[in-house]
Amino acid sequence: MNHISLTINKKMYSIDVEEDVRLIDLLRDQLFLTGTKEGCGEGECGACTVIMDGRVVNSCLVMAFQAEGSNITTIEGMSDKDELHPIQKAFLDKGAVQCGFCTPGMVLSAKSLLDKNENPTREEIREGISGNLCRCTGYNKIVDAIELASKEIREEKKE
Amino acid sequence: MINKCINPKTVEEALDILESNGKDVKLIAGGTDLVIDLRNNKIDKNILMNISKLKELRFITIDENEITIGSGTKFIEIIENQHIKEKIVGLWKACKSVGSPQIRNMGTIGGNICNGSMAADSVPPLLALDATALIIGKNKTRSVPLRELYLDKGKVDIADDEILYAIKFHRLREKESISFEKLGLRKALAIARISCSIYINLENNSIKDIKIATGALGKYPQRENHIEKRLVNKKVDEIILKDIAEEMSKHVSKRLKGRSSRSFKSIAIKGIFAEAYKSAIKGANDESHKSHNK
Repeated sequence: MNHISLTINKKMYSIDVEEDVRLIDLLRDQLFLTGTKEGCGEGECGACTVIMDGRVVNSCLVMAFQAEGSNITTIEGMSDKDELHPIQKAFLDKGAVQCGFCTPGMVLSAKSLLDKNENPTREEIREGISGNLCRCTGYNKIVDAIELASKEIREEKKE
Repeated sequence: MINKCINPKTVEEALDILESNGKDVKLIAGGTDLVIDLRNNKIDKNILMNISKLKELRFITIDENEITIGSGTKFIEIIENQHIKEKIVGLWKACKSVGSPQIRNMGTIGGNICNGSMAADSVPPLLALDATALIIGKNKTRSVPLRELYLDKGKVDIADDEILYAIKFHRLREKESISFEKLGLRKALAIARISCSIYINLENNSIKDIKIATGALGKYPQRENHIEKRLVNKKVDEIILKDIAEEMSKHVSKRLKGRSSRSFKSIAIKGIFAEAYKSAIKGANDESHKSHNK
């Protein structure tokens, strides 16, 4: 058993983890943050995407003990109390969610992109979500949603 | 079966552990390949030591003559380096072509080298740059040319008590360039089916020096010495690229004898090689490159 301390969605955790536990197992099975999904378990699909120390990672490819001291954001940390994040709102407004399995990962990849580049081109958006597979939407609506969110976030900042 | 995980605070602490327990320790850096192997019970060691947080292994230094990249440097950190983006174009392109943003944010150049994968994206450009691997152990350091580091598929010449510390290569000057081309099945997340990287140094429109490396065309990424010999000291205008590509194809076909991918790869390498060659020549003739390097 390993004892690790880390911050998840601005909350400090000090927790014991088994040696073979991955970050996704810790999030889902120990902390019940089940918004993070496991798809392929091999880093191909991006459903398990979380933001770790400012960058998106596949939580299925990180061992839990490696997250010692890290700062992690999951989909549960996106909204502010009852208020959805502008990216989440844009996904709803543009119909970018169908089955919803890829959505948490998509939203976090979008957040990571917009945090660094607040006015990306469609090409940059596509690259930003290139590690996230969606089998329903055909991606166009997701790109539309991220484009809309970027606009709204910029306008919010102006106000 | 892993029954102990260690997060060393310093490289020194990691080397102490390796000295006393090296044969039982598996190092984990970015983990983007290893975690899958761990899940599939392919790792027969029982201690997992995380070196991904060691700041001493995460650096890019560019001095007058040489560029040194720490083994723990993540692909994203290499991609974001302006000098590498502008001058070491082939290495930049290779790092940029690794996996997806998520993989590039975790995966390290040292992990890519040490895994010994035949399809490791960053290795062909490093081979073409004739890079040197700096390896450290408790009270010892040694350097090995990268081309000699690969012993067999998935096996590198690094002992149980050693760590790959960094990879080093010379800076590119006027009339030098490095290119990279990769054939994957799609743009993101593609594992290289074939890759080719070419370093070239031109002088009076002749090839003064050329180093060609390929990936996924053998047990590990390797140099293509015989093709290099055919091109060195030749006038660029007199080279018939089609013939050289044909020769490359024959050579690959011979090497891949008995493999199902043989017929596809021996044809596809022609195009990949020709593209890499053309972009290396173009890079070496690039005027903007010249002014930057004075």
